[in-house]
Amino acid sequence: MYHHDHCEGFQCEQQQLEATLAHSGGELGALDRLIAWFRQRSLFVLAYGTGCGAIEMRPLMTSRFDAERFGIIGAATPRQADVLVISGYLAIKTLKRVIRSYEQMQEPKYVIGLGSCTINGGMYWDSYNTIKQLDHYLPVDMYVNGCMPRPEALIEGFVALQKQIANGAPSGAMRYRENIDWYKANQRRVLGDNMPPDYTYDWYHAGDVA
Amino acid sequence: MLKLLFLSLALTPAATLFTWNGAVAWPLFDGITLLFDLTPLAAFFMALLAIGAPFVALPMLRGKSDEPTYALYAVLLLGMQLLLLAGDFIGFFIGWEMMTWSSYLLLLRSPRIDLEGAQSYILFNLASAFLLLAGMLFLYSITDDFRIQAIDGLLTPDKWALFTLFGLAFLIKVGALPLHLWVPRSYDQAPDVFSAFLSALMSKMGIYGLMLLPLLFPDGLSEISGRFLNGPVAGYVLAWIGVITSIIATFKAIAQEDMKRLLAYSSIAQVGYIVTALGVGSSLAIGGALFQALVHTLVKLLLFITIAGIILQTGHRRFTDLGQLISRMPISFFGVLIGIIGLAGMPPLPGFAAKYLMYIGLIDAHWLLLLAALILSSTASFVYCYKLIYGPFLGHANSPEAKIATEAPWHYLVPQILLMGMLVALGIFPGWAIEVLIDPVLIGLGMTPIGAPAWSVLATSYGGYDGIAVMGVFATIFVLITALFFLGRGRMHRATSSYDLSFCGEVPTAATPLHYGAGMGRELRRVPLIGWILRHTTINFYSGLMHQTQATAGMIGTLYGSNPQVWILFAVLIFALTLTVQMLTGA
Amino acid sequence: MLHYFIDAFAMIGMSYFMGFLFYGFYRQFNARVQRRWGPSIFQNFFDNMKFLFKTETIIHGPMFFFGPMIIFAGAVTTVLFVPYLKDSIWLQGFSQSGNMILIVYLLVVGPLGNALAVGSSGNPFGVMGVTRGLTRLMGLEVPFLLGLALVMVQHETASVHAIMAAQPDFAHWNLVTNPLAFLVMILPFMASQHASPFDVVGAPVEVYAGPRVEFSGRLLGILMTQNMMMTVAKLVLIADLFLGGATTIWELIAKTFALFLLTAAISTSFPRLRTEQTVDFFWKIPLGLGVISVIATIWFPWS
Repeated sequence: MYHHDHCEGFQCEQQQLEATLAHSGGELGALDRLIAWFRQRSLFVLAYGTGCGAIEMRPLMTSRFDAERFGIIGAATPRQADVLVISGYLAIKTLKRVIRSYEQMQEPKYVIGLGSCTINGGMYWDSYNTIKQLDHYLPVDMYVNGCMPRPEALIEGFVALQKQIANGAPSGAMRYRENIDWYKANQRRVLGDNMPPDYTYDWYHAGDVA
Repeated sequence: MLKLLFLSLALTPAATLFTWNGAVAWPLFDGITLLFDLTPLAAFFMALLAIGAPFVALPMLRGKSDEPTYALYAVLLLGMQLLLLAGDFIGFFIGWEMMTWSSYLLLLRSPRIDLEGAQSYILFNLASAFLLLAGMLFLYSITDDFRIQAIDGLLTPDKWALFTLFGLAFLIKVGALPLHLWVPRSYDQAPDVFSAFLSALMSKMGIYGLMLLPLLFPDGLSEISGRFLNGPVAGYVLAWIGVITSIIATFKAIAQEDMKRLLAYSSIAQVGYIVTALGVGSSLAIGGALFQALVHTLVKLLLFITIAGIILQTGHRRFTDLGQLISRMPISFFGVLIGIIGLAGMPPLPGFAAKYLMYIGLIDAHWLLLLAALILSSTASFVYCYKLIYGPFLGHANSPEAKIATEAPWHYLVPQILLMGMLVALGIFPGWAIEVLIDPVLIGLGMTPIGAPAWSVLATSYGGYDGIAVMGVFATIFVLITALFFLGRGRMHRATSSYDLSFCGEVPTAATPLHYGAGMGRELRRVPLIGWILRHTTINFYSGLMHQTQATAGMIGTLYGSNPQVWILFAVLIFALTLTVQMLTGA
Repeated sequence: MLHYFIDAFAMIGMSYFMGFLFYGFYRQFNARVQRRWGPSIFQNFFDNMKFLFKTETIIHGPMFFFGPMIIFAGAVTTVLFVPYLKDSIWLQGFSQSGNMILIVYLLVVGPLGNALAVGSSGNPFGVMGVTRGLTRLMGLEVPFLLGLALVMVQHETASVHAIMAAQPDFAHWNLVTNPLAFLVMILPFMASQHASPFDVVGAPVEVYAGPRVEFSGRLLGILMTQNMMMTVAKLVLIADLFLGGATTIWELIAKTFALFLLTAAISTSFPRLRTEQTVDFFWKIPLGLGVISVIATIWFPWS
């Protein structure tokens, strides 16, 4: 799968991701396709500067990288955001806030994990107070790997996410709904009694698991 | 039984209004005859009284019957009717005094009254009455007549003296700055329902007096000392008094933390608009003033009665102690909502018609600086209007009582609903109010009537608007967009906890200060002008005045030293000065 | 009746189209000033559609839901009471039954209705934003209405139609015959458009997005829609009053665009003021100018 003449480094992984997405969602109706197209054309980002990735996220809005030309723009509150960017390692203390922010976002909503730390803990793989795999706690739609990935890589990630949305792939929020028991159990394992309150996922009536 | 009797007594103004015909002359003793007649102007204010009296009486009926209060209320109503019917100053003065004393005794029956409040009420009102007395005796000394009528051939100093004496008397009653000290205290400390009467109806008696004032001069206020642009000079002074009152009272209202005090200051401000419009004196402005008087009466009755209901149900009157009553007291919520829309002068409701007429009146007079000042106070009033509805009804409940409160009893709700209906109807049909209530007064005052081509249309030479069109378009769009919204795709769900807020990722709890009721408007102090106004109080103004007077007196006192030679020198100098003046003037 | 319906729909549609194109242009313009490419000119349309088709919307009680409906109804009512064209039976809406002061007040009805929704959400940041908005309104409304009042005195009417009719050619535009009035009201007008030096109320990084903090999904879409339509209504009102109105749609677009370009140019150049600085600015510079022009044009005998 690794062809140097087509791509280089993280771009190849990005392409792999995009390739797998290409053949889903052909069954969408015209209106749904249109809506999906609008959705991918306008992504409001709640940039959660948890770790060192935050420094790579800011230049995205500046004149040099100009993410606004893709319709990507910052949102101030989780209520208005479509994409949650987790930029790097996630301390357990921060995880609680991230979960609450994610649950306050309105569907369809997407999560981008930025940097290796969100994938396997990265250089914090043996740290006592960070989580290792973000995917255990929140449904991640797109990973951008690297330590740290450059802003261009993040833009690649956004573009890949846009393609995924345009194809009509369901957002990770669906996965979160379906496997809420599993996610909440994982969250409880690291947060203990310090869980965010349950009224932010009030659609969940599965009992006292969470 | 007693309650029914009381209620029927409260209907007497309405009875007087509908059954009065013809003038009554009652010869008192030689040369002095008491005249009673229902002029169109008095009829307008009688109509306000007829609307307001039963609405205030109804909540009073709740609970154990309180005979002294009922009796005093009846005397108060009698006094006010006497005042309105009087065709001369004697009857007017008797009515004025009956009103003052019976309202004072009613005020004393409140459990919350303190010495300061009671004293300031009676002292200011007595000062008003004595100024009135001085004015009418002065009038008698020049004309040998007590009748309220135009007087020809007055000297300019006499005109100014009459204008000042009567003007001050009535300005105390309407609470113009700096004569307003009694207003916030008494409106705050009065029994909760009676505050509605004080604000809505008794302040209008001052307005009635101010409207009688131009009748003393054949050419209205212009006669006193000419005209400035398109209006009278004396009116210009009056208008500035009114508008400065309303600006300062508006900012003071924003800073209040108690609902009734806020409403008290807002009454001062709203009545300030009326004074401004009276100063202009053109038919448009007088029409606006009358309209504003009407709207203010309805709005303040509604708001004070609603607030009284809230205080009754929760026992709290401060913004910090209330909150989130919208789901527990929905009718009261609509009462306050309609009230503040009227107070702020927003288009679908009649408050806008009144503001429109006043603005047009000022534009017609070319008094644009006054217009700017009026707009300032009228826009600033949005802040306290919002505070008034946010504090009790929105946000988070801040006291155990606010969490369990229920809707006010029917004695309070019936007037609220009727008043809301009246306000909405007047908003749709401003032309009806013009044609039926205001034009007769204008004709009676010998002015051009404003006229209305249709009941829903408010028309002036400057253009007008159609109440049905505004309300209709707004309501249609509102219904359409709501329907479309429900037809659209997408799930809506209600937050299951009131703490499900975007709070920077944090989780607010009951201990988090989430209610912004009392702090609202505090940051306004950072605006230099508002900060300056709010830092200074009228009491400080008076004590500063006192200190200055004392200092001046002390300085003059030093002249009268112990040395007799200085006295003799003064005596000689004054004697010489008098002689010189007499020689120069040739007297 | 049918005429009214078609006319109303045309006005609403036109305001919406012009609204998102103007805002798209604004974002492009801003980007070019900052040496970026910037988004597509239709970006605001995409954003709006995305919000209107979100699958989930949270509400905090009935009043919270009705707030955006009230503000939308207020915006459309404003649009329908501003005459878009001069000497035409089209694009008039209900402007014959309104006047200038009514329109200025209608501009405020919606935001006040929405303020109730913000309050009932229980989010203190939202209420803080509302208070800021009302404070700014207090500052801008005085010079804004004073500028308009100077025009009303000049023409002795409050009817927008009559004022438009009194400006048949360039030499009679109020911009030319009464430039002081234009100068007095133009900065407050920009503030009423939430343009940059005066945009502290709803700016994304100020008190957590201000009044909009709790609105999400389709309700936010409604708020966005009404904002774009309201902007166009205000531009048309000023074009009617000072630039002589328009007889064709192209003329209307040109004139409103010129005004919008002025606003955009100023708002890309100046940094944001705090609320109290805004109010103080309005009460010193534009209001001071207003007082001078009242004295110069009304008090003195040569006027």
